[in-house]
Amino acid sequence: MAPTDVKFRKIDVDAYDEDVLLETELYDPDPRDPQQVIEETKARAAAVRSSLSKGDILGALVTILDNPPYGSNAEEAKNLTLQTVVTVLNSTKATDIPNVVRSLPPEAQDTLMKYLYKGMGMPGWGDVSGSVLLGWHEKLTEVAGTGCIVRAMTDRRMA
Amino acid sequence: MAAPEVFNVSQSPITSHAFNADRTRQFSMRSDQLMRWFLILFRTFALEVAVSLNTNEVQLFSRSGLDWTPTETLSEHDKIVTSIDWAPNSNRIVTASQDRNAYVWQQASDPLTGRVVWKPTLVLLRINRAATFVRWSPFEDKFAVASGARAIAVCSFDPDNNWWIAKQLKKPIRSTVLSVDWHPNNVLLAAGSADMKARVFSAYIKDVDKRPPPSVWGEKLPFNTVCGEYSSPSGGWVHSVGFSPSGDVLAFASHDSTVSVVYPGGPAIYTIRSNSLPYVSLTWTSEDSIVAAGHDCQPVLLTGGPSGWQAVGSLDDTTAPKSSVGGRGGPTGSSPVGRLNSAAFNTFRNADSRGLGSSPGGGTPLATDTELFTVHQNTITDIRAYEGAPDAVSRVSTSGVDGKLVIWNVSAVSGLGTKLKALRVG
Repeated sequence: MAPTDVKFRKIDVDAYDEDVLLETELYDPDPRDPQQVIEETKARAAAVRSSLSKGDILGALVTILDNPPYGSNAEEAKNLTLQTVVTVLNSTKATDIPNVVRSLPPEAQDTLMKYLYKGMGMPGWGDVSGSVLLGWHEKLTEVAGTGCIVRAMTDRRMA
Repeated sequence: MAAPEVFNVSQSPITSHAFNADRTRQFSMRSDQLMRWFLILFRTFALEVAVSLNTNEVQLFSRSGLDWTPTETLSEHDKIVTSIDWAPNSNRIVTASQDRNAYVWQQASDPLTGRVVWKPTLVLLRINRAATFVRWSPFEDKFAVASGARAIAVCSFDPDNNWWIAKQLKKPIRSTVLSVDWHPNNVLLAAGSADMKARVFSAYIKDVDKRPPPSVWGEKLPFNTVCGEYSSPSGGWVHSVGFSPSGDVLAFASHDSTVSVVYPGGPAIYTIRSNSLPYVSLTWTSEDSIVAAGHDCQPVLLTGGPSGWQAVGSLDDTTAPKSSVGGRGGPTGSSPVGRLNSAAFNTFRNADSRGLGSSPGGGTPLATDTELFTVHQNTITDIRAYEGAPDAVSRVSTSGVDGKLVIWNVSAVSGLGTKLKALRVG
């Protein structure tokens, strides 16, 4: 017997709670101005390109993963970051991945994991390639463990 | 390395556990010491533990020889008992439950039978959601009940009416409070909450407390003063909080698999990232060491000081499966049944009971696929100091979803397990 009326399930009960805890209250807002964040990200993307032309994968990753954009008003900067991260990931030889991952600082490892998941959630977007992401995911998990995945899932400052 | 003591208490999960007359106070210097020694001597013969087996009842077990035998059942709650604490000096048990109530249990003789039984006293919590966690204050004249009602009820006894009354800490809590811990001065209270924050409050009750001396947390401390608010970089529910033995440092474990250590005077927060699943419970074992445990199924020792903190290793030896009796003796362990050849026996037994074929290559049949190499076979729900003074705890106890109660030696740290080996990279 299927329930006949399930409309009540779509009622936004939070609207009736004056003390509701909003998503944006779960993390400290980014102190930077959205415009400034985009410009910073663009500058970083350029720095990453020059690092890549020198073959410095680690330097490129550290640059783009440092102090990443977050918050609901930074979608453009986030997408640009993803695009840049994907470029770096795609241009790395599979044999170099373990060393690069191992040399990343812990904060950058956590951020990289966030962008790997963001990329996996957008198959076919830009240059995103599932097999490349999975390769990195495997190596990153070997180094940083399930704890890194837990942090990527827990963090409300989403990529 | 001394092996931990393992007790299979039940088949069901253990939500919470608390030992009586906790041996941590054995060497503390306070008044009425002679009296206390007698009590300790007496109680050592009747070592008891109260556990919640994920039901609405509290089960007491008493130690007899090497085993635990169920003695009494405390049933007054209607829903699952979420937390238990046993006051060591006044020998009172406080329980919190999802039925939004707390009870204080005291031993009294039954007027009809003359037997000594545990009698409950109701606590007026005035909360409209589940009570999640409870802890006695160090002087045992107050206790704090955390709840899903975005509030902490600080309870003290009202002798005029013979019941416990609560005063609520509400601001600025935005979500369920998951754990609390008392500062040694009996006034400050730390709380970890599902709004990703660990906070330090003043739980000063006028008629109960004397004015506390100034500390790193502040000088003037009226009720509900917020002395500090902290979160880990990647957020996550704060599952567990704990003051260091001196009370000057705060540690909390959150759901992003980190433990953060706060030096309020610093001001510095050290975040130790774990390589494994989140910790849900922690306890200080000295001023510079913490043992944390949780979804990782093993207690992990962390050490450090004002200049930094790191994970040292696991109290569990995770190099071999634990299923075989005396499994620590050799790589294959001995058979549980007499002197049967264990390899051959296990092969046939597995083929018979589980339909497993012989292992490829004729290797020794090891633990079944689902067995973890840790003592606890599921999440550890609760870790507590078991023995030693607060600033020199020598043993800790853990209880888990696997129904096990385990007592560990803090000094028995094995090298980092494979899961933890790469913890501090880069």
